[in-house]
Amino acid sequence: MVYALIGVLIGVLIGFLLPFTYNSAYTLYVSVAILACMDSIFGGIRANLEGKFDATIFVSGFIGNAILAAFLAYIGDRLGVPLYYAAIFTFGNRLFDNFAKIRRIITSKRKTIKDKNGTTI
Amino acid sequence: MKEYNPKLTIGIFSALVGILFASQVKMNIQMVTPVTISSIQRLELEAKSLKTDIDDLKLNIEDKQKYLDLIENTDYSEKNIISVLEDERDKNMLLAGYKTVAGPGIEIVMFDNINSDELSFDFNDGIIHDVDMQNILNDLRVAGAEAISINGERVLSFSDIKCAGPVIRVNGRSLGTPFIITAIGDPKLLMASVSAPGTYAEMLTKVYGIGIQPYSKDKLIIPAYSGDFSYFYAKAVQ
Repeated sequence: MVYALIGVLIGVLIGFLLPFTYNSAYTLYVSVAILACMDSIFGGIRANLEGKFDATIFVSGFIGNAILAAFLAYIGDRLGVPLYYAAIFTFGNRLFDNFAKIRRIITSKRKTIKDKNGTTI
Repeated sequence: MKEYNPKLTIGIFSALVGILFASQVKMNIQMVTPVTISSIQRLELEAKSLKTDIDDLKLNIEDKQKYLDLIENTDYSEKNIISVLEDERDKNMLLAGYKTVAGPGIEIVMFDNINSDELSFDFNDGIIHDVDMQNILNDLRVAGAEAISINGERVLSFSDIKCAGPVIRVNGRSLGTPFIITAIGDPKLLMASVSAPGTYAEMLTKVYGIGIQPYSKDKLIIPAYSGDFSYFYAKAVQ
């Protein structure tokens, strides 16, 4: 969790310092892509906590999900159907799902530590 | 395969998300609304109507300019002034409804429900009331009717339409069925306003069985307002 937060903070700093902008017509696609990326990050944190983190799966998911989400938004724009709702729904859902699992893992770890302390004292 | 440090990997990619996030914030977008085809069409329609509004206003300005030129260019000999003023008076009388007018429009024949057994609960349902008349006149005005008369009685802005037993009083005069409403305007629009599905007239015919027969006419004559009207209480604000 902490390293992800630190990473985001560093990224925000870099983003504000760099003169990096893009066409404002793409903001919708980028925002959906950001959501997909955040989902991947949460998934990565969870996998790390569970001890089955795979860098290939993480990176491919990170990039692939972002591209797919942005592409879905783009196609929806062309067709006149807001298809990006699908991306928002899926990734939003999974985001909360992952976060719930992370919370459980962290709290259960704390509990086990407490139990150990309890037994020793 | 080389083992990656998961924390470092996640941290680096979080930084990527952060960069994207920051750039998105930097764009300073108030609201992200998707541009759909329907929204484009709506905007196009809005732009079109605004353009026609602008054109109308421009025409209006031209008219006013012409009138101004006319006034400025008349030499102030008595005869010219009188003719200009008379023209203006005639125009104002025409607009106020004190002149007989002619033009294309529609004629609507309205009569009470003939089949007395069709709607037998309340006889009031089958006869034409002042409200029905007012609603139909309103529909006609919405459709752009320029002059309206009922049974030859000119309806103006201050005309009263009131039920009085079996008759309807218009301008203080009693009129009986069948009512013949004459309206000058775009015949197609006027016809639509009293015959299209969902209009008040259609409801009257379909539900209450009141007879409403509109006829499109090329030339109709609507008489001038015959009464006298003047303000007693209302005074112009300077």
